[in-house]
Amino acid sequence: MDHPTPASRLVNDTHCANLRHKGMYVTATPDSREHDFYDAYDATVYWCTQTQKPLGPDGRPVHADHCKGGRGCCEH
Amino acid sequence: MAEARQVPEVAAPAVAQGNAAYAWPTHPTYMGTDVQRIDGPDKVTGRAKYSYDIQRPNMLYGRIVRSPHPRARVVAIDLTMARQAPGVKAALAVVEPNAILMFQGEEVAAVAAATEEQARDAARLVKVQYEVLPPLTSVEQAMSPDAPKVFPDGNVREGAAEETGDLAAGFKAAAHVVEQTYNTQVQTHVSLETHGCVCEWDGDKLTAWVSTQAVHGTREGFAQALKIPQANVRVITQYMGGGFGSKFAPDAQGIICANLAKQAGAPVHLMLDRKEEHLATGNRPSAYAKIRAGVSADGMLTAFDAQTWGTGGAGVGAGFPLPYIYQFPNRRRQHKDVYINAGGARAMRAPGHPQGCFITEVLMDELADLVKLDPVDFRMKNLPPDAPDARWRAYFPIAAKLFGWDKRHPTGDATPGPIKHGFGCSANRWGGGGRGSHAHCEILPDGGVIMRCGTQDIGTGTRTLVSIVTAETLGLPIDAVNTEIGDSLYPFSGGSGGSTTAASVTPAIRVTAVKALDALKAKVAPKLGVPPADLVASDGRLHARNDRAKGMTWKEACRTLGAEPIAVDGEWQPGLSASGTSGVQMAEVEVDTETGVSKVTRLVCVQDCGLIVDKLTAESQVIGGVLFGVNYALFEDRILDRNTGQMVNPNMEWYLIGGPSDVPEITAHLVDQPERGVIGLGEPPAVATAAAIANAIANATGVRLRSLPMTPDKVLAALEQQRAGGTR
Repeated sequence: MDHPTPASRLVNDTHCANLRHKGMYVTATPDSREHDFYDAYDATVYWCTQTQKPLGPDGRPVHADHCKGGRGCCEH
Repeated sequence: MAEARQVPEVAAPAVAQGNAAYAWPTHPTYMGTDVQRIDGPDKVTGRAKYSYDIQRPNMLYGRIVRSPHPRARVVAIDLTMARQAPGVKAALAVVEPNAILMFQGEEVAAVAAATEEQARDAARLVKVQYEVLPPLTSVEQAMSPDAPKVFPDGNVREGAAEETGDLAAGFKAAAHVVEQTYNTQVQTHVSLETHGCVCEWDGDKLTAWVSTQAVHGTREGFAQALKIPQANVRVITQYMGGGFGSKFAPDAQGIICANLAKQAGAPVHLMLDRKEEHLATGNRPSAYAKIRAGVSADGMLTAFDAQTWGTGGAGVGAGFPLPYIYQFPNRRRQHKDVYINAGGARAMRAPGHPQGCFITEVLMDELADLVKLDPVDFRMKNLPPDAPDARWRAYFPIAAKLFGWDKRHPTGDATPGPIKHGFGCSANRWGGGGRGSHAHCEILPDGGVIMRCGTQDIGTGTRTLVSIVTAETLGLPIDAVNTEIGDSLYPFSGGSGGSTTAASVTPAIRVTAVKALDALKAKVAPKLGVPPADLVASDGRLHARNDRAKGMTWKEACRTLGAEPIAVDGEWQPGLSASGTSGVQMAEVEVDTETGVSKVTRLVCVQDCGLIVDKLTAESQVIGGVLFGVNYALFEDRILDRNTGQMVNPNMEWYLIGGPSDVPEITAHLVDQPERGVIGLGEPPAVATAAAIANAIANATGVRLRSLPMTPDKVLAALEQQRAGGTR
């Protein structure tokens, strides 16, 4: 048995290895027509595997925009 | 440890493109019929063991010490007295001195003891010294210019602005304009089974019985947090009592439980109580929208301009789709996520959609009133074109007929007396495509069949779907199939969320069962003198397609295997599932204008989900989703003290949930679309209910409520405002 790692359009190699969101664990298919019915929006909730919370080890909120190079607690 | 691989993403079409090798049966025996849940008897008799029920030899009970303050600095943690308390086998600090705690209920320390009572007593003996800091307790406070900057990157996170068309031209073309502010509340998940787990170590290997929506995802989460190989973690979830999007990781309590078990050298049971659930295991964020919208004299939407914001507490995730479904050609929107000192949001049943649906659909009724059009007629003029994944133009008339929409009166029930009746409508959309699941099937020489898949049944009926598809494919009774799920030792399947499970799992089961049957046919064919391709399985027999007598019973066929069972692996393939669902709901309410109490008496839901696998559990999903929406509309509300930021209703007494007498008559009208393949259904029915109820209350009372939940005080306040001439 192999052990897949989460994949995501929002979290990739440039992001911290500890950043997670639900979409990484749900094997969804992109809803290609979604934006015919509403504009882009972001309801993604992130968490850090090291704290298991929406806050990183440094106490700041985690997000794909923040959890990448330059943030001290990031791991790659 | 095997080499890690990424799960590839694939696009799903709105209509399955066909998969000849594994096509769904055209004349099914079970699929699409009412099949009772195979685990129903186990659940009602108590034989089904939830994580809460797990008992292990020498098991201890864990308890977490949590911050009573929404914002505080930890000065010191003293575990000395707790460690000396009777029965205590482990105690640990979760945070270090000087840590800043950002929400009430944040984990500070933990203990494990021989009994639950001893663990509670010991937790009270943990001495934590806090320096209490002023919290941000509301979005208004957090957004005010003079608010303290509590979050290092600022209290507000600006989203990208969206703009389409020519807004000025849109408003110029408008004959009427609505300018209003709408809002929805923070809703907690209130899973009947609380979050938690039992953790047991065997050397460096961890077994965890977890109330989770993702056995494989939680395995990965334990491994990542504990810095151990995934192969050393096994996660088991035989039964779980609801998660609604909040249970995809081990969470803090899972990691704490594993660490307590390690320290104690014994299994630890750590399930949260209701207060902890409300405080620390997620919520649906609030939503606010200040909107200016225009409509032409002939009822066409012309312009939409919105500033929106909301809070997911101490985290992001408060975005929502707006406008929802209806076509405003000229529109602009700017969104902000606001941080406050409260438990963070988590995904919750159609994240963002109930908020966007409520706001848009209430606005739509306001615009319809201005142009004096029936709400359904007004919507029909402004819907997107009909398509397989967008069928509102077909469903509004179906719902109207089922509901008796033609009996709707204009806004404001003119009949005498304090009890007013009203109708309301709304629409929803969701994706619901799945992929990526694997399965393993064994056909045993004694005729037994085992189907294993590392999915989990979160209360939706997944275990039953696996049995149905296997039995259908092998031509066997449903109870002849041994379905084994809920264990990370089984073949990979994704988490159960986003309405993806049915579309992810059932194609994998179909492919795997067909492969297993093909292997059996290959064994039997020479004995029957029939080519394998001409053999079919039905009614417990394997026989020639055109000569039923030329065959043998299933057991006789399996006996030909000798001592070697058939064992095959299979995985999801395209062509058996799709993405994109649409639905319409209509609600009838009864409002007592003297008490302000609203009661939903009737609700019709017209909903598609592609090919229906089990009609009974699909209808059950609809009913559950509607009840979810009724609670969102009328009852649920996380209330924070505006001064202290502490939650004032972290229980099920004052955090209101509807009871049996609040359940309306629900008509679940499922539209079967076999040509599309399987699509998920968990989320869609929960989206539109609150909006339909809100519009029904306005139709009944003549006053518009733009804020959820629509509690009696809000109804009375709106009626009083109307009497004072304050509302339109």
